[in-house]
Amino acid sequence: MPSGGNGVGNGAGTSGGSQTFKPYRHLKTLEGHTAAISCVKYSNDGNLLASASLDKSMILWSATNYSLIHRYEGHSSGVSDLAWSSDSHYTCSASDDCTLRIWDARAPYECLKVLRGHTNFVFCVNFNPPSNLIVSGSFDETIRIWEVKTGRCVRVIKEAHSMPITSVHFNRDGSLIVSGSHDGSCKIWDAKEGTCLKTLIDDKSPAVSFAKFSPNGKFILVATLDSTLKLSNYASGKFIKVYTGHTNKVFCITSAFSVTNGKYIVSGSEDNCVYLWDLQHKTILQRLQGHTDAVISVTCHPLHNQIASSANHLDRTIRIWKQEDA
Amino acid sequence: MNAPIIDPLQGDFPEVIEEYLEHGVIKCVAFNHRGSLLAAGCADGSCVIWDFETRGIAKVLRDNDCAAAITSVSWSKYGHRLLVSAADKSLTLWDVSTGDKIARTTLQQTPLHARLNPGLSSPSLCLACPLSSAPMIVDFEIGCTTLLPVCVPEMPDVLAPPQRSKCAESGPPFSPAAACFNKCGDLVYVGNAKGEILIVDYKSVRVLALVPVSGGSAVKNIVFSRDGKYLLTNSHDRIIRIYENLLPAKDVLRSLEDLGKNVDGVDGVEKMKTVGSKCLTLFREFQDLVTKMHWKAPCFSGDGEWVVGGSACKGEHKIYIWDRAGHLVKILEGPKEALIDLAWHPVHPVIVSVSLTGLVYIWAKDYTENWSAFAPDFKELEENEEYVEREDEFDLMPETGKVKVSSVNEDEEVDIETVEKDAFSDSDMSVEELRYLPAEPIPDTNEEQDELKLIEARISASPASEEAVQNGHVTDLVSSPQGEMGETRGKRKRKPSEKAMELQAEKAKASKASGRTVREKSRAVGDQEIDESVNGGGDDDDDAYY
Repeated sequence: MPSGGNGVGNGAGTSGGSQTFKPYRHLKTLEGHTAAISCVKYSNDGNLLASASLDKSMILWSATNYSLIHRYEGHSSGVSDLAWSSDSHYTCSASDDCTLRIWDARAPYECLKVLRGHTNFVFCVNFNPPSNLIVSGSFDETIRIWEVKTGRCVRVIKEAHSMPITSVHFNRDGSLIVSGSHDGSCKIWDAKEGTCLKTLIDDKSPAVSFAKFSPNGKFILVATLDSTLKLSNYASGKFIKVYTGHTNKVFCITSAFSVTNGKYIVSGSEDNCVYLWDLQHKTILQRLQGHTDAVISVTCHPLHNQIASSANHLDRTIRIWKQEDA
Repeated sequence: MNAPIIDPLQGDFPEVIEEYLEHGVIKCVAFNHRGSLLAAGCADGSCVIWDFETRGIAKVLRDNDCAAAITSVSWSKYGHRLLVSAADKSLTLWDVSTGDKIARTTLQQTPLHARLNPGLSSPSLCLACPLSSAPMIVDFEIGCTTLLPVCVPEMPDVLAPPQRSKCAESGPPFSPAAACFNKCGDLVYVGNAKGEILIVDYKSVRVLALVPVSGGSAVKNIVFSRDGKYLLTNSHDRIIRIYENLLPAKDVLRSLEDLGKNVDGVDGVEKMKTVGSKCLTLFREFQDLVTKMHWKAPCFSGDGEWVVGGSACKGEHKIYIWDRAGHLVKILEGPKEALIDLAWHPVHPVIVSVSLTGLVYIWAKDYTENWSAFAPDFKELEENEEYVEREDEFDLMPETGKVKVSSVNEDEEVDIETVEKDAFSDSDMSVEELRYLPAEPIPDTNEEQDELKLIEARISASPASEEAVQNGHVTDLVSSPQGEMGETRGKRKRKPSEKAMELQAEKAKASKASGRTVREKSRAVGDQEIDESVNGGGDDDDDAYY
């Protein structure tokens, strides 16, 4: 729900652009990684920020003062994705060493489990809302579902796609999984049975670089490598909104929904900027400049109007942006 | 929810055994309010709670004082408490999230059935039905038991005096009676040996109404549907009867009192019968005319649309499913192990049945992938459709390029945040429901890490071993007791030799004592087994695999 503290009406109910958009301003730059940063994510309680990098480590930052809390080492190869459990106690990282690791986000910050089974780079990972299961997608073209408690692989969806899987996400009640892949398709799976329920896109190109459910689980945001972001009502299979203007042809850039104050779509871009679109009107509201290389990952704080973004090799920093107050 | 994209043509009841769960010898099962957790009582006195989504054990409740077989388990409304009745005449109330014992009491007789009051969020009041005495209300807080009347005395105007002691009423010796709470927990419906349903106000220990069951044979089970609209009785004459509940959902006591006041000119038993006829009406009767079998554990489906009854005649494991109109829609046949308990999942078309050997079988629909799922513009048709081509379809026209006419209004407002009200949440949301037990990852130990690294190297080399290792959960029942069910996972047939090996390994470990610590160990050892099997090593239990 929007925090509404700024006294500005939110998108729903107002027609036209009568709402004044408050621009985001750069707050802080975080340094600490020695290679491209593949993913940043805020925890659900808003107290922590985690970042994963190709330098094989993951860093835990405080989301209040952005100090470095802990650096997780253990993977033998670069980390491509990370996910938070719903209670903000655990994170899971997906790495090119074909494993996933579950880390404790509380002292002593141990690596609790190593999930083995994939036979190629693990590219994407997510917890389900009750956080008793983890879904992962890999270059071995399979999707695996793991039990958090014991680490055992509960299900393997083989031949899920015909090329590396770029993104996996559970919906709100954990009954569905959406997956996107380089083979250009975006599919919805029944989480319990592992059967394919629907295919959203099936063109060979462009590749689907990212897919996730909206907060209420009714829509899917899909990013494709032709610099387009689409919002689809998956029940009808139709794309109802299209967001363009950014550049996304090479990297699997993550996008996010911003709902704390006004509804926006936020995404990184290969022109080194962070883009913000109005959800309903699809207009570009702001381009955040400052990074010196492609912005690979963005995340929105669950409670405050803050965005964290991270960039590629030449930059290696995380930038925090905060919306101006009234 | 995913309702819009799931194929509506599939029936809403299970068809095949999907999996089985094992933990010692299970005696009885119960789902929590949403079906996310399954509690089961074991023959050794412990109680295990499975996370039904992951099919892994979430908690084990073990009482060192109690080593007798559990006779029933019952959840509180929001899933915070669990009531367990055991063969040593005890009733134990557990707090589910902490795993602590809240209270324990011992009765005079072994309770066959014990149910927590479904109307309260933290109930300490329960209904217990012992083997050979009247059903009683046990209050853990006050620490007393109240016997409920089982029959209405023939003399008019005599109300059974409230009894706070444990001695039996004067009169004929008791035969077992079945009892259950109504949906909001302020009335108890008792089915007695004379074939009558008594509606009892347990607080004042009065019988408010009486409904005679046709045929007059003893009532063995009495159960409400989840929404409280239908009542099911299972009688000794092997007939299951469905009654429609005419009383309103709220303020039931007052309505009953009013009904009683409005009945003039009759007293005593006749009055009760008149009031009773306004509370319940007979809706349907089910029986198997051919074999006339005794039904075990009959109950409703979660949405009340289906009625299920189990049969254990001649040691078989059969589940009969009727629709509420009385048509028998399916008979599920399980392995040759007598069925002892049954539960229908509150939300999904899933049935859980317990066999005499202590295994919990999970029945689910046979999922076949829908062809229309594979491409975005595929649609499933019920029958062939004649294709009518467009007027200009075959005209020779220069290609103007594929113009996809977008029929969607792109300016429509999109709502990404509101969630529809959950059909399963009741209006009282002041208490938070316990849906899941937090999954805390069990830390790997160092030796496991090294073992698994070896396996990892091997797995990347050999293509055949990509299968997930499952602890005793056999999804492909090729090597299980009955071969018929092996067709469930036709698409995922594995190499039988490998599967048999894994099963052997798991069975060898699983047959040892149950309990959480041993389970962890068996998992570790199980992994070792796989390691050795892959590396060609042998084990004392099994022969060399390769």
